Amino acid sequence: MAQVGFYHDMTRCVGCKACQMACKDKNDLAIGLIYRHAESYETGTYPLPASYCYSFSCNHCAMPACLAACPAQAITKMEDGTVIIDEEVCIGCQECIPACPYGVPQYKADTNTVGKCDGCYELRMNGESNACASTCAARALYFGDLEELQARFGSGKTLVNEFPALGAMPETEPSLLVNLKDAAKEASFSPSLY
Amino acid sequence: MENSNGITRRTFVSAAAAMTAMAALASAGCSPTQNSVEEGGAASGAGVAGTWVSAACWHNCGGRCVNMALVQDGVVIRQKTDDSHEDSPEQFQQRACVRGRSQRNQVFSADRIRKPLKRSGWAPGGGANSQGELRGRDTWEEIGWDEALDLIAQEFERIKTDYGNKAFLVIGGEAQSLMASYGGYVGSWGTTSYGTFAYTPGIVGLGDFNFSDSGNDRLDFKNCETIVLIGSNPAWSSAGSPIYHALLLKEQGTKFVALDPFYNESHSALGAEWIPTRPGTETTLFIGVAYEMLRMDPEKQLIDWDFLNTYTIGFDAEHMPEGEDPAGNFKDYLLGTSDGTPKTPEWTAARTGIPAEKITYIAELIGKDTRAAIVGSYSAARNTHTDNWPQMFMTIGAMGGHFGKSGHMCGLTTNARAYGGGPAIFQAGSDGLESVPNPIKDESICHVEMWKGIVEGSYTFTGTSTSKRNPGVQKSIDIHVIWHAGSARLQTADDQVSGIAAHRKVDLVISNASFMTTNSKYSDFILPVSTLWERPGGFLTGNREMLIMHTQVVDRYYETYSDQEIAKMLAPLLGIDGEEIWPTSAAQQFFNQCAGATMTDESGEKVTLISFTQEEIDALGVDGEPQEGSISFSEYKEKGVVSVKRSEGDAYTYYYYEDFIDDPVANPTKSESGLMEIYSRQLASTIRDFGYSNDVTPIPTFYTGPEGYAGTFENGDMVAGVPSAYPFQLYNPHYLRRSHTVFDNVQWLREAWTNPVYLNASDAGAKGIATGDVVKITSPHGVTLRPACVTERLMPGMVGLVHGAWVNVDESTGIDYAGSDNYVYGTVKSGAGVSGWNSGICNFEKASESLIPDVDLPLLVNYNADGTYAGGGRR
Repeated sequence: MAQVGFYHDMTRCVGCKACQMACKDKNDLAIGLIYRHAESYETGTYPLPASYCYSFSCNHCAMPACLAACPAQAITKMEDGTVIIDEEVCIGCQECIPACPYGVPQYKADTNTVGKCDGCYELRMNGESNACASTCAARALYFGDLEELQARFGSGKTLVNEFPALGAMPETEPSLLVNLKDAAKEASFSPSLY
Repeated sequence: MENSNGITRRTFVSAAAAMTAMAALASAGCSPTQNSVEEGGAASGAGVAGTWVSAACWHNCGGRCVNMALVQDGVVIRQKTDDSHEDSPEQFQQRACVRGRSQRNQVFSADRIRKPLKRSGWAPGGGANSQGELRGRDTWEEIGWDEALDLIAQEFERIKTDYGNKAFLVIGGEAQSLMASYGGYVGSWGTTSYGTFAYTPGIVGLGDFNFSDSGNDRLDFKNCETIVLIGSNPAWSSAGSPIYHALLLKEQGTKFVALDPFYNESHSALGAEWIPTRPGTETTLFIGVAYEMLRMDPEKQLIDWDFLNTYTIGFDAEHMPEGEDPAGNFKDYLLGTSDGTPKTPEWTAARTGIPAEKITYIAELIGKDTRAAIVGSYSAARNTHTDNWPQMFMTIGAMGGHFGKSGHMCGLTTNARAYGGGPAIFQAGSDGLESVPNPIKDESICHVEMWKGIVEGSYTFTGTSTSKRNPGVQKSIDIHVIWHAGSARLQTADDQVSGIAAHRKVDLVISNASFMTTNSKYSDFILPVSTLWERPGGFLTGNREMLIMHTQVVDRYYETYSDQEIAKMLAPLLGIDGEEIWPTSAAQQFFNQCAGATMTDESGEKVTLISFTQEEIDALGVDGEPQEGSISFSEYKEKGVVSVKRSEGDAYTYYYYEDFIDDPVANPTKSESGLMEIYSRQLASTIRDFGYSNDVTPIPTFYTGPEGYAGTFENGDMVAGVPSAYPFQLYNPHYLRRSHTVFDNVQWLREAWTNPVYLNASDAGAKGIATGDVVKITSPHGVTLRPACVTERLMPGMVGLVHGAWVNVDESTGIDYAGSDNYVYGTVKSGAGVSGWNSGICNFEKASESLIPDVDLPLLVNYNADGTYAGGGRR
């Protein structure tokens, strides 16, 4: 089965949050709702600190725990592997939120539904690109078929889908390829600039 | 449908339809007619029709990017950035930043001002009638445009009659043109972003005004082995494409070394070697580096003597300007021949806090045989008492011969032109308007002392701009009107505490604004301004390889007008013919810019850029003739941007200073001698004549001011090292939540960026402060509060208070709750009148006050569902 996902080049990301804002805009999210968030972390001590940034969102898992937890069949895995919540069908029970190993789904009180990154499915079906990836000034974020992303960016590198700030890879098989910075391998880290 | 801004399509359309009397002045607005798209269907079944329009992103951010808005039924549904062509390093997309991507949340912000507001306690007549002490504390009421402009005009007439035109302080181009026609006004100027690069470069023979465009061509950066960054963070300060260019350099193996107080996001991404450096100590540091280059030169050949001997004066006794004492040369200063003190690494270390071995290391790094770029931003120059810094910077470049050749640079790589110097390939035409010169040429206040000068009634007149200068003359000043018709001066000029007092002193304050900005908050009238999204169109320039054309996105927003329209409406009430100043419509002005636009083609020829057909001209409703160009108006309008595809050795190849290096006689610098002046008689004499400080020297030397790093020690004695009452150096990084002050009210950005104060982990730990704690920052000038961000990435002894937050004073205590930078910077006069935002001093402590997160604060302006004004204006 085809599987789309994100490639994040941590060696390029500057944590500028343009992807976060593009997502906010595309999904027209009220304050308090964030489907993609870019964060900065630091390790080490002065005068030799190290830092890295990462842009978190739905990993469109191969075996999505959210989908399995949904009693209303509101969550669908599309033919290309995108995991989508149909908010017309969602009953707002929020079962999917704790089920997700990454805490991705967000409850929306005003509509009593849960929303999350849909990989800009509609946009892509209409020939546009993902809002987040297409705005990345550092060219650090890409979306596409995982095998194609691996072929395009993985040459001579080991791309991973787990690191301490993200957590160990869960059984859901996240569709994620990260070109890790060395600093991100440190077990000890703290949130940095914001 | 209600979007996150609380604007429904229905209220929006009805508000626009409600325009009445003033609508006659409305520009010939073109409704969006660009390429329509059909979306949706597959997943939701809800087809969304819309039109993409090139939407201006026009701020003073240090970048410049493409922003497209999807418009449906007159409402912006969402945005995207540049997808006008495939992205490649040769022809890169102009991708927008976090602020640009929030632009619609600004334009349609719930707190955007819809109709004029008048401060409740203000009445005409001046003096007690104006109740000036209530400015910033008072309530507001909505007022019609006619009534507001009548009241303003009557007050202008009264004040002009009683006090003359020198009672008007006017800031903003269109209003300045109006007031120039009205008999003149008092102007103002400041070094703003440019610091000491605003005056020194031209005098010492280092490039042009502001020393901008001073790196080589983008493609030549690849030829540098080592790039030394002095105060540079393109990821935050030149958002958009520059960080991409820098990342490509890192990936090809270029070594980056960063001199900065902060190991910032750019340094981290570029794998830079960080040498922690305090702002304002750069001149001293490079004096030490120069000493080391000289010391090691016999062994390591670091100095390009041919360059020094051919292109500079003042380096040694053999190359001094005629009539000057040969003993005053730079080399003898380094060696200590002239003052008995050799400027050794140890001497330098004691005055900068930079380890001696790092000073030696830098000297070896930038020798003549290294293909080195010594580049940075203006930040090292935004310090008081640093007027010799641009000269020192030039001197180091000259010692290594890093000018005018491939792979070598000594210049600024900043703003939208970072990592790519050279003349613009595309240029917009003139709008055809001519600004009216101010008949008052003997008054103009420098920002540094503007507010204090108004409060105290006297100031030093040293000229009318950063470059048009004269010896300082002490003058009295009696300002009765402040009109903010542009800029954010009460927020961005030094000494905001005096600024607030100045605003409370005068009879009348007017602010053209879209929001309750700091200018507006301390005004009597707020005249709501349209944004570029509501005007016919225009051009935005950034990096040299592209030109953005933006067009009208939506109809006029409620009763808002452009600054030009406002000035033109006021003109007849002051007996002025506005048609004379602004004879054309905004649409015609836009067309003129289009018709006159040019590009430099692949053969180096300047050609007409835009083709027009008669139909396109008629559709704009303007006068003009069809013309042939490189791209049709319609295609350009649809794409929003034109750019070139670059290749090695193309017509756009550029080496900064190449002409001067080729033939210094035919292409002299702008200095007195036509050379690079390491000894500049004119620099020292003119600056001393301004009367702000007496420390600037003909050659770069060590001196300090009352604040900055020296001010953190008792008696300014860094060597003794006894901490002063303000033992921390306060500096002012630019921050991605805002563009200077712009966007600070935007909720999406307030949510994304929380605006902390950055503290070093050891410093904070010693005071028991952890991330998230509220910190009270006390300077000699004011007190402000911010949540702490405790980090190992800031050097000890520094406090990073980010730039541009809109002041929010608790009137009972006088404490600012917003982290307003200028609330804790004072009037510190030095040199050519530099605003020194990186050389403050402060102390800090854990605060007893609590802070509401910025995003949770009430809005400053509110409207009821029926569109009526619902108060606000205070926090």
